[in-house]
Amino acid sequence: MSARASGRKLSEPSLAFLLNAPALLAIILLVGYPIVYSAWLSLHHYNLKRPRLFRFVGLENYVGILGSEEFWTALQVTLLFTALGVAIVVVLATLIALLLNEPFPTRGLVRTLVLIPWAIPPVVNGLMWQWIYDAKVGALNGLLVSLGLLAGYRGWLSDPTSALLALVTAHVWNALPLAVILLLAALQTIPAELYDAGRVDGSGGWRLFRHVTLPWLAQPLLVVLILQTMLAVRVFDLIYVLTAGGPGTATTTLVWQTYLTTFDSLDFGLGNAYAYTVSLITLGLALVYFYLLYGRGEFEV
Amino acid sequence: MKGGKRRRTVWLTLAGIVVAAYFLAPFSWLVLTSFMHESDAMAFPPRWIPARPTLDNYAIFAAPGGTRSIVGSRAAENTVPSILNSLVAATGTAGLNLALGILAGYSFARLRFPGRRTLLFLYLGSRMVPGIALIVPLYLVIKTLGLLDNLLALVMTYLTFTLPFTIWLLKSYFQGIPRELEEAALVDGCGRGRMMIRVLLPAAAPGLVAAAMFAFMTAWNDYLFAVILTSSMAAKTVPVVVAGFATDVTTERTLMAAGGVLAVVPPLVLAFLFQRLIIQGLVSGAVKG
Repeated sequence: MSARASGRKLSEPSLAFLLNAPALLAIILLVGYPIVYSAWLSLHHYNLKRPRLFRFVGLENYVGILGSEEFWTALQVTLLFTALGVAIVVVLATLIALLLNEPFPTRGLVRTLVLIPWAIPPVVNGLMWQWIYDAKVGALNGLLVSLGLLAGYRGWLSDPTSALLALVTAHVWNALPLAVILLLAALQTIPAELYDAGRVDGSGGWRLFRHVTLPWLAQPLLVVLILQTMLAVRVFDLIYVLTAGGPGTATTTLVWQTYLTTFDSLDFGLGNAYAYTVSLITLGLALVYFYLLYGRGEFEV
Repeated sequence: MKGGKRRRTVWLTLAGIVVAAYFLAPFSWLVLTSFMHESDAMAFPPRWIPARPTLDNYAIFAAPGGTRSIVGSRAAENTVPSILNSLVAATGTAGLNLALGILAGYSFARLRFPGRRTLLFLYLGSRMVPGIALIVPLYLVIKTLGLLDNLLALVMTYLTFTLPFTIWLLKSYFQGIPRELEEAALVDGCGRGRMMIRVLLPAAAPGLVAAAMFAFMTAWNDYLFAVILTSSMAAKTVPVVVAGFATDVTTERTLMAAGGVLAVVPPLVLAFLFQRLIIQGLVSGAVKG
């Protein structure tokens, strides 16, 4: 059957279904089914170290999680990491995108260089920052001491507070380009007439930004917020290479705790309950964002 | 007025240099280390510029098993094959992603059908689940399909992760293309399929490039799924091999640096080549929602 014939014969809904079938099939098989299966596992007692004790326990795993200290510590770390990471990325990305939207001599080059971290896998990124933070021969210590900003070398990853900040810094560097290019693309869609009209009104730089640029950026900023929040909540590779959740539990996020429970303790029941809790939290955040998008009446699908 | 404009240009350029330095500095530290001898890389205080630059670290990847023994690590042998694996997985993901994404994206952009909005949210919603929640059941699915340690499994997995964004981006991009273009082609007697290939896809080129690049990057960067779903060099990707030597204290640092740089070269080249098209693709694609 040629494409031409199918285009004529099929009604629009059947054609739409046909066009979506391959994508839908892949997603149902590799995302839909796993979601359901892990929900089911999370309602069981299932530890690979004692696989014979597989039994249905209802919500026991979840009750256990909510009653455990690890969960609340990990939740705190996750929220702190996410809030810091997302806030810094959004502010820096907005500033950089605004800069790259202005004409200046080396703009093309800078626009290209901004993409570097985007091309770096989080694992390599972790490796790189691990050496930058190194207590003995790291670049950060070398730089700060030679500038006279620091008296002696420090182990940036061995102190709980600085380890979390170090993790945020490494993540922000890696995650920034995506936000910058999305916002830069958004800035390029602003019609010049809007600025012209603003200038005629006698508005200066700040007022133009406040009344023309910022409202126009509202929706793209929300898109960036959603993407960045998802990215920050599920950071795994970087933690694996850089801090392994330590020192102590200073950088143990919910995703890292899920990993430890599942693959270290081999407690698949509890691990999946953890994974589900993370999913629910992510979903909650996503719903808030979607509500914001819809609530503004600007989100057309 | 003219002096003010010039001053503005100077400030903008300076800010541009600061931004460039921020993005360049950490990576150049890695690059510089990769050209150092191990003793220089471990020197105190740290050295920025290799005093005696060397290509030894890269030579090892070209001819593994040479005179320099690497204790406790197969970094040298495995890096190049893993780059090839990553190339196959990432290119396969990007290609399939476009094929399926174009079909679904087109349906959302041009066709009316019941459940359109629900389906779109279903796609986007599937991305809300963190990977770690899928990993155990996904492993079992792949095992049942007999695809463990097979690049095809990675391609299928990454495909499902990247499709929602691709569909969303292409939907918006197609919506930005005037309908009249297609209608003219359809009136001329083209079927929908021919019309898509001749008219719609060329007009959507930047969107396609952007979508393909995002898919490529996602596939290239993933570690979590690659490490669980692969077990030998038949399918191990770059992040798996790099993580292997990054967490192994016995591997020489300069060698790791060279491995890290090699792992970054392919996506970096693509990003630089397509920078303009990526931004252009997003302009009428993602940011309009």
